[in-house]
Amino acid sequence: MKERLIAMLLAIVLALSLAACGSSTTGNEPAAQSTSQGADQQPATATADPVEITFWHSYSEGEEKIFNDTVLTAFAAQHPEIKVNAIRMPYEGLDEQLITAVSGDAAPDVIRMDLTWVSQMAKLGALECVNGYDGFDAIAANALEGSLNTTLYKGQNYGLPLNANTTVAVYNNAVLAEYGFDAPPATLDELMGALDKTDPANDKYLFCVSGSYNWAMLPFIWTLGGTVTDPGYTTASGYLNSAATVNALDTIVSWYNDGVIGPAIMGEQPDGWGGIEAGNYTMFVEGPWFFSSADKLDTYTPALVPSVDGRSISIVGGEDIVMTSTSKNKEAAWTFMQFMLEDEQQVAMAGAGMIPVTASAMAKIDTSASPYVAVYMEQLKTAEARIPCSSWPTIETILNTAFESVLRGQASSQDALDNAAAQIDELLAQE
Amino acid sequence: MASSKRKFMIGCQQWLKALPFLIFGFVLMAMFILYPLIRNIYISFTDFNVIKNEVTEFVGAKNYLDLLKDKNYLIAFRNTLLYALVTVPGQMFFGLILASLVNSVRKGQTFFKVVCYLPVITSWVVVSLVFKYLFMSGKGGLINYALMQLHLIRQPIAWLQSEWTANVVLWLFGIWKGVGWVMIIYLAALQGVPSEVYEASEIDGAGAVRRFFSMTLPMVRNTTNYLLTVLTIGAFGAYIHVMMITEGAPLGTTNELMNYMYNTAFSTYNIGSAAAQAVLMGVIVLILTMIQRRVSQDQMN
Amino acid sequence: MRRKLSKIPNYIGLALFALFALIPFQYMLATAMTPLSYSMPYPPILVPESLYFGNFVEAWNANHFSQYFLNSLIVAAIATVIIMLVSSAGAYAFARMQFPGREFVFYLYLFTMMVPTVTNLIPQFLLMKDLKLVDTYLGLLLIYIGIGVPSNTFFLRNFFLGLPKELEEAVIIDGGNHWQIYWRIVLPLSKPALGTFAILAYSNVWDEFLIALTMIKTPDKRTLPIALRLFQGQNLNNWGLIFAASLIAVLPILIIYIVMQKKLIRGGAMDGMLKG
Repeated sequence: MKERLIAMLLAIVLALSLAACGSSTTGNEPAAQSTSQGADQQPATATADPVEITFWHSYSEGEEKIFNDTVLTAFAAQHPEIKVNAIRMPYEGLDEQLITAVSGDAAPDVIRMDLTWVSQMAKLGALECVNGYDGFDAIAANALEGSLNTTLYKGQNYGLPLNANTTVAVYNNAVLAEYGFDAPPATLDELMGALDKTDPANDKYLFCVSGSYNWAMLPFIWTLGGTVTDPGYTTASGYLNSAATVNALDTIVSWYNDGVIGPAIMGEQPDGWGGIEAGNYTMFVEGPWFFSSADKLDTYTPALVPSVDGRSISIVGGEDIVMTSTSKNKEAAWTFMQFMLEDEQQVAMAGAGMIPVTASAMAKIDTSASPYVAVYMEQLKTAEARIPCSSWPTIETILNTAFESVLRGQASSQDALDNAAAQIDELLAQE
Repeated sequence: MASSKRKFMIGCQQWLKALPFLIFGFVLMAMFILYPLIRNIYISFTDFNVIKNEVTEFVGAKNYLDLLKDKNYLIAFRNTLLYALVTVPGQMFFGLILASLVNSVRKGQTFFKVVCYLPVITSWVVVSLVFKYLFMSGKGGLINYALMQLHLIRQPIAWLQSEWTANVVLWLFGIWKGVGWVMIIYLAALQGVPSEVYEASEIDGAGAVRRFFSMTLPMVRNTTNYLLTVLTIGAFGAYIHVMMITEGAPLGTTNELMNYMYNTAFSTYNIGSAAAQAVLMGVIVLILTMIQRRVSQDQMN
Repeated sequence: MRRKLSKIPNYIGLALFALFALIPFQYMLATAMTPLSYSMPYPPILVPESLYFGNFVEAWNANHFSQYFLNSLIVAAIATVIIMLVSSAGAYAFARMQFPGREFVFYLYLFTMMVPTVTNLIPQFLLMKDLKLVDTYLGLLLIYIGIGVPSNTFFLRNFFLGLPKELEEAVIIDGGNHWQIYWRIVLPLSKPALGTFAILAYSNVWDEFLIALTMIKTPDKRTLPIALRLFQGQNLNNWGLIFAASLIAVLPILIIYIVMQKKLIRGGAMDGMLKG
């Protein structure tokens, strides 16, 4: 037994000493060295051959079909000098993939990624700043501000918005009629008028807040008059913990405690999708993917988030299109990115439910084919972005924790938001 | 002098003989596991830029000290210890009972073996997902529904929404997933025991329970020690169930070490801290394994 | 007769265990056989209301599912065979041969089992790139083998230590060497143990997602877990489809296990475990 112990200790000592050797030679690690050689060895492309760029996306199967058949075909016709190698990636693990690929110098040239990742990836040095590229200003002027802001890191743009989404109020027509409405109510007060018709004891609630995480909470916080930061995203103190925000959060908590909204906010059943289908809720707030099948419009009606004092503010989601800093064909990559922002492509992808991010493309959408898109586009005009900040994943956790702890009665709104604002300030200062 | 040279020559000859058996596995293991692992130990003392794949600065023990102050890490640590404390004996207890039962019957042995091994060979991701929905809150969850039908509870339980019920679900999952494997290993040990021994004791009139404690348990003691090591390593390394069932919710109170490490590495990209967590975990498991071996060795002497 | 009756409590106990093992699968099956639904049926069902297989058909035809399924079958089968061969050879050296530093090298194997490998992806990828094996099955297989070897070597060494030495001595007297002992005596005697660990090795490779996604770049070469994730990503909340796809993914391992189970660990050959 003693021998074994000694052997184990030896193993650790050896491991540690090897690590120490490693420290003196980090710069010459074989892996790192030959990686850079690998880059040098890239064969120069012959001028006659088209430049090949790789594009990662995570379109669904249906979206991918429209992208391949319409958009890529059009690009090949207009730009025979560039060949786009489009690869569909699973959304799960995409960030790990990107990090690994960039550090291994094997990254794609262009990526369509969730807009909350952009500033973080920019901070890590994975993305190319596009402000200096030809034609950027024109695109920026045409793009929706809420969407364009999602590409910001330190005041510079590290990509272009590609498609937007937001959440709107989705009503179950049958429950709406049961509660005496002919059409979705425009204001929250009107909706609240039907409160006496609900029956929380039998799982009949007025409406649903789908969870205590920021994506579900912020539309209500903002609509009720709360704020997260100043308009320049530099500080949370005085905004996140202002009287208005505390009041908004308290209002939501009282809805929960009084059975106005169901237990979905705590992650319990009936959840949003199940509850709206089963008639537990008149309304929940959800993105355009809810209407992915056409027959949904027979049973459900989308409408703007019911307003408070004239405010109806939802949250900006969607994807941005970015260029990697290691791309070897940046001009070709930029050509493709610009192409994706042209009206034809924006309109074509709208056919797959992707809402355009430019004013000119929005104007060209024929909403008679998919009437719900009009509501989402309308809501987007006032929708607000989450803080474009490289520490967003941490900020997100701070916000979610603050909201959840208040809902669970573990902290008062004021305390939780004071605390969260202080933590977020610290992170924003480090940006 | 001459003898030490001789010894060296013999050593070389022995190595030459053993090398063909070892070399392929060792080289692959060294390249893809050992090398990253040693590199990891080094990175744990640094601030590391994952994109440039280079060390930004050497920070000494900072990553380790930060962890000891990180409340969420300590919660994850506590949960992992509890998970190991509950699921390792749990799997062994039920696994041994199951193995004894399977061993005691002739007809249908194959059927019960296959059925109970099913959870072992199924993807962690898939069965975690199923558990999440079995323990869904509200009346719609199968577990709640069944308990209410049986009048064991009056109100549905929000299993995954509060700290301890959520941890209990993770424990149940761990036991459910592993019992079949323990059963197979114990079964092999039990079947090594000549059946005459059992029959003799049956004739002696020893009751089933007494037989279990006085005969079965001592006979499988070495297997028990072996399982203890393997299952403990497994319990510390498990994370997919946390990721799929609770994601650490509510408020990080169900995180376990591996899951926490994964998030540190891939959601905040703090590779230095993740590396430190990996090293700490390795050391803890190593110590636990050594204590276990020590104790079991003492028992046998 | 009395003996048979006395087994009844044992069967009741076994039935209880089987029930607990099966309920989650039955729940999956029942949901998978329910037509399009974004909410779980209420009251929850364990018996499907009709024999509806639409979800299985849709899952099989979507997202290159069938192609990735075949790719996975091949990759997992090759990886498993090589892992078992390499591990058993190494385990034989640890169990039966004398060489300086044997314990040390063995504990190195054990140590790699204890330290988690979450952050290994990037160094593994860089190595593959240097070896020019990115986007090849050879590269993917090498990593899977490297990962599978330590634990299986550990398991099998314990097993080999317990094998009776008498047979081997006979080979040595006949002038046989280690290779002959390994190939003619130890491997045949260990078939049950090899089978048991091979199934686990197979299911680990069959399930592996992140390494496969990182190392394989050509969509046509991807493996099944990638299809499953693509699938989950675009069918959020469509539980019938997701469970149908998952059940299809479970099938091969189940079939292999049922076919092989007679050969799996049983009988006195498992004394090896006792030396743990």
